[in-house]
Amino acid sequence: MKISEEVKISDNGFVFNSKTGDSFSLNPFGLEMIKSIKEGKDFEILKNEILQKYDVDDLTFEKDYYEFCALLKHHQIVVQDNPTDFK
Amino acid sequence: MSKQKITIAVTGLNNTDNPGPGVPVIRGIKESSTFDVRVIGLVYENLEPGIYMDGLCDRIFQIPYPSTGSDDLTERIERIHQQEKIDVIIPNFDAELFSFMKNEKRLKEIGINTFLPTLKQFQEREKDKLPEYGKKYGIKVPKSINLGSLNQVEDIEEKMEYPVMIKGQFYDAYVANNEEQAKQAFQKLAAKWGFPVIAQEFIKGTEVNVIALGDGKGNTIAAVPMRKQYITDKGKAWGGITLADDKMINITHSIIEKTKWKGGMELELIKTSAGEYYLIEINPRIPAWVYLAVGAGQNIPEALIKLALGFDVQPMTDYKIGKMFVRYSYDMIVDLEKFAAISINKEI
Repeated sequence: MKISEEVKISDNGFVFNSKTGDSFSLNPFGLEMIKSIKEGKDFEILKNEILQKYDVDDLTFEKDYYEFCALLKHHQIVVQDNPTDFK
Repeated sequence: MSKQKITIAVTGLNNTDNPGPGVPVIRGIKESSTFDVRVIGLVYENLEPGIYMDGLCDRIFQIPYPSTGSDDLTERIERIHQQEKIDVIIPNFDAELFSFMKNEKRLKEIGINTFLPTLKQFQEREKDKLPEYGKKYGIKVPKSINLGSLNQVEDIEEKMEYPVMIKGQFYDAYVANNEEQAKQAFQKLAAKWGFPVIAQEFIKGTEVNVIALGDGKGNTIAAVPMRKQYITDKGKAWGGITLADDKMINITHSIIEKTKWKGGMELELIKTSAGEYYLIEINPRIPAWVYLAVGAGQNIPEALIKLALGFDVQPMTDYKIGKMFVRYSYDMIVDLEKFAAISINKEI
C-alpha cells in the first residue's frame, strides 16, 4: 500500500488529493498513521510502536488500522500495487 | 517593451448567479503582458452587472438579441466599429455564437477579428448528436435518445434504466427517476427550449470539467482540469479547484487534435468510481470559471486574442495544481445616470 503521488499531506493534518480535488482533515493520530504508511513502515513494527506509546490493545488497534486503510483506499489516497494485498 | 494597444469587444457581462464569462474574460485580458487593452462591453440587458463595475469597460454598448436576426446584430456591431475600431470580438454566449460564426467573414472584411469554432465543429457537438460524436472521435458518451413528442418518453425504459437525465437542447437538465418525472421534465424543457428534448443515460460519478483552447490546426494551446467544489441550485460552480489529472488532459488533446477545434471550449465529463470518463457535453466557448485558469497560470483570453490576431502561439502545458476559486456576490451602489444612459442612449 502506497500513498498516491498526487496526495499532499500537511503537518497540520490537511490532506489534499490533487487528482480528485478532495481534501480531508486528520486528527494528530490519523496524521501519525498516514505518515507511517507514507514511510512504508511495516505493519508489525508500527503496531508494536503504537501499543507501547498509547493505551490501546492489540485487537482494537488492528481493527481501527484496517478501517483507516479502507477509508484511504475508498478516497483514492492510497494506490494498491497488488489487488490481492489487503494491507 | 511597450505593450501593443488594441481594442477588444466582449459580451456576457451578466455576472449574476448564472454568470456569463465576460467579466472574467476581461480580467484575464487586462492582465496581459503583451497587450494594452481598451475594452468595449457589449450588453443585451441594461442591468448586466459588468456595466456598473468600475474600471472594467471603457465603453458600453447595448446590442440586439440574436433572436432579432443576425443582420441586426451585425449592423449594430458595424456601427459601434465605426466609432471604436474594434480589433477582436469575443462572444461568450452559446445563443449568439451562430450569428457571429455566420458573419465571421463580413466582420473580418471591416477589420474585426474573431476566433470561433467552424459551423461544422459547432453543430456536430450539439447535445442531440453526442452519440454520433462519441463514435466518430472515439470518446465514451452516455447513451441517449432524442425525444420529439411526449409519447416517446414511454420508449426510454426499453433503452435505458431509470434514473435518466432529461435535457433541453440548449440549457437545463433534470434527473428523472421514473416515467412520470420524465414526462414532467420533458414538458418543461420542450416549452422552454423546443425540440428535441434529450433523454440521456445517468452516469454515476463525479462531474469534472476542462477549459481548453484549440488553435484550429489540432494543437491544444491551453487545458486546465477542474472539479466544482460548491454548486448553486442552478448547477453552476460557486467554487472549484484545479486537478492533476493526466487522463482528462489526454482526452482534451485527443478531441482537439481529431476535431481541429478552433477557439475556447469547456468539456463536461463524468468520472466514474472505476476511473472511466464519459463526455456529457461540450460547451463551444470559454466558460465562466475561466479566471481560475488565468490564476493557475494559463491566460486563455490573452492567448485567444493572440490567435485571433494571427500571432504564433505556443501551447501552455503548466498550471498550478490545487488552485481554487470561490465566487462571491457584492452589492454595488450605482448612480441613476449610468442606468439612464444605457436605457435611453444604448451606450455609455
